[in-house]
Amino acid sequence: MRAAIGKRAGLMFVTPAMLLIIAVMILPLFYTFYLSLHNVDFMQLGSFLGLKNYKQVLTSPGNWMAIGRTLLVTVSATAISVVLGIVLALWVDAQKNAKYAYAIQIVSLIPWVTSMVVGALLWKWILDGELGLANYLLSLFGQKPVLFLQTYAMQSLIFVVAWRTIGYSLVMVLAGLKGFSKDYIEAAQVDGATPLQILLRIKLPILKTPIAVSMIVLSMSNFNNNIVPMTLTSGGPGETTTVISLTLYRMGFTHYTFGTASALAMILFAINAIMILIYIRVIKYEI
Amino acid sequence: MKYNKRMKATAIIEIVMFVMLFTVNFLPFGWGIITSLKSTNEILVFPPKFLNFNVTLDNYRQIINNGYLRTFINSVFYALSAIAIDLVLGFLAAYGFQRFRFKGKKLLFALVIAGIPLSAGSTVLLIPNYVLFSSIGFTNHWYTLVILYAAYNLPMATWIMKGGLELIPVEIEEACIIDGGSRLYILGNLLPTLCRPTLASAALFVFIGAWNEYITAAVMINKTALRSVQMSIYDFLGFFGKDWGALTAAATLAVIPTLVMFTCLGKMLVSGLTQGSVKG
Repeated sequence: MRAAIGKRAGLMFVTPAMLLIIAVMILPLFYTFYLSLHNVDFMQLGSFLGLKNYKQVLTSPGNWMAIGRTLLVTVSATAISVVLGIVLALWVDAQKNAKYAYAIQIVSLIPWVTSMVVGALLWKWILDGELGLANYLLSLFGQKPVLFLQTYAMQSLIFVVAWRTIGYSLVMVLAGLKGFSKDYIEAAQVDGATPLQILLRIKLPILKTPIAVSMIVLSMSNFNNNIVPMTLTSGGPGETTTVISLTLYRMGFTHYTFGTASALAMILFAINAIMILIYIRVIKYEI
Repeated sequence: MKYNKRMKATAIIEIVMFVMLFTVNFLPFGWGIITSLKSTNEILVFPPKFLNFNVTLDNYRQIINNGYLRTFINSVFYALSAIAIDLVLGFLAAYGFQRFRFKGKKLLFALVIAGIPLSAGSTVLLIPNYVLFSSIGFTNHWYTLVILYAAYNLPMATWIMKGGLELIPVEIEEACIIDGGSRLYILGNLLPTLCRPTLASAALFVFIGAWNEYITAAVMINKTALRSVQMSIYDFLGFFGKDWGALTAAATLAVIPTLVMFTCLGKMLVSGLTQGSVKG
């Protein structure tokens, strides 16, 4: 049957989808690279600059500070989310009641399916310095009000970014735990393995793939996230939570300097490309 | 006796954990809903009132008078159009990738896989998409966000549906052809019926992606008539400032469709998310 409709049929089926993906996700990168070599203000293509835009982006201390903050948010939020995800997944996996286990999964995924604007906005309200619920709860314990979004802006940002992704790592790790036979564990128990040995020697190695996938997906998602910082703190106070994706957004849509914005976009794309290559390596697919 | 005590302790720890998880995940929503039902005066009261306040729909009235429903309908349109496009294109592509061998298949499929995390962080594509779309005059049209949302979510949809097709033996198609069924019938009716759960799962992912997207919409659209629901929430933040009643009302209404879809199709979300992380 496959031979009957010829070797080109497969290509024919995938072409429409591939055209859309390439047109929106690949082609614009070439155009952006072209723009990054020029002076482009307000979308007016100016003189050819060579690599000057790159030089400008890479020599600005503010950009390096922003990259540093981005790495701090990315690494800490991803670590919190993956560690808590593993802990919760081991807990859910130990549940005998399947309905209960399912309920935990669903509850923890809710922040992940909520839009970042809504999630960040609702936390902004809870963490509000004057009327926020968090400060009311502190006052019950006799604590003075805390300006979470000013004094602890970075910590609040990391908290909200981690909050929305814990369910994702939980579900990934749990699927890994469910995917292997319990016989291994029983065999190990018969041989006298302690629970800690079972965790470190059997469970964690089997969970390598789901943990790696969660880490890479969440790192990319957090690295590129500009909606949560934009909504929660607008990069402030001062520049304390200005991550690189906010810098990029402002270069383009506040200052309209699309030449330098394109150069920065290409640099960020290169960082993303490395993460994508790792993703393709760790994700399991057959073709 | 000792054993019993330990079980009790474990049960208590478990309940505490569940309550904590439940609280941290629902607190923002619960508090948001309560705030949205209060009058401005009662929102400004400290200590805050939890249940003993006068329920009012003023905040909802206020956002609806400010054009909220229009943006809601726009977003429904964007999401449904993206779902329709992605189910058709994605299903055809999944079929091509799953059932055929052809030159360049490996590379093309690697592009699909690469597209999944790439579109999750659509900020990388923000400048590239904007500069290209504005130079060809594609910004600010009814189809602008349809094209972008369809493209962003197509890799995931294709991948999920390919997973569904893997479970359906080729023999079913062959038997259908022998019985005189056409390829059009197979692709348009037989396989979609057999793959219904994966189609639903793909649709759910596209919906969540399109409904929740903000930043691309914010740079691509500035016509009032075309704004999306997330844009209107974000704009209320600037427009109403600290009017938390209006803001939480807008947030509450925007979350409802996601929660309804999610509660009905939660299992499919879980199976779609974990595809590729556990096999092999």
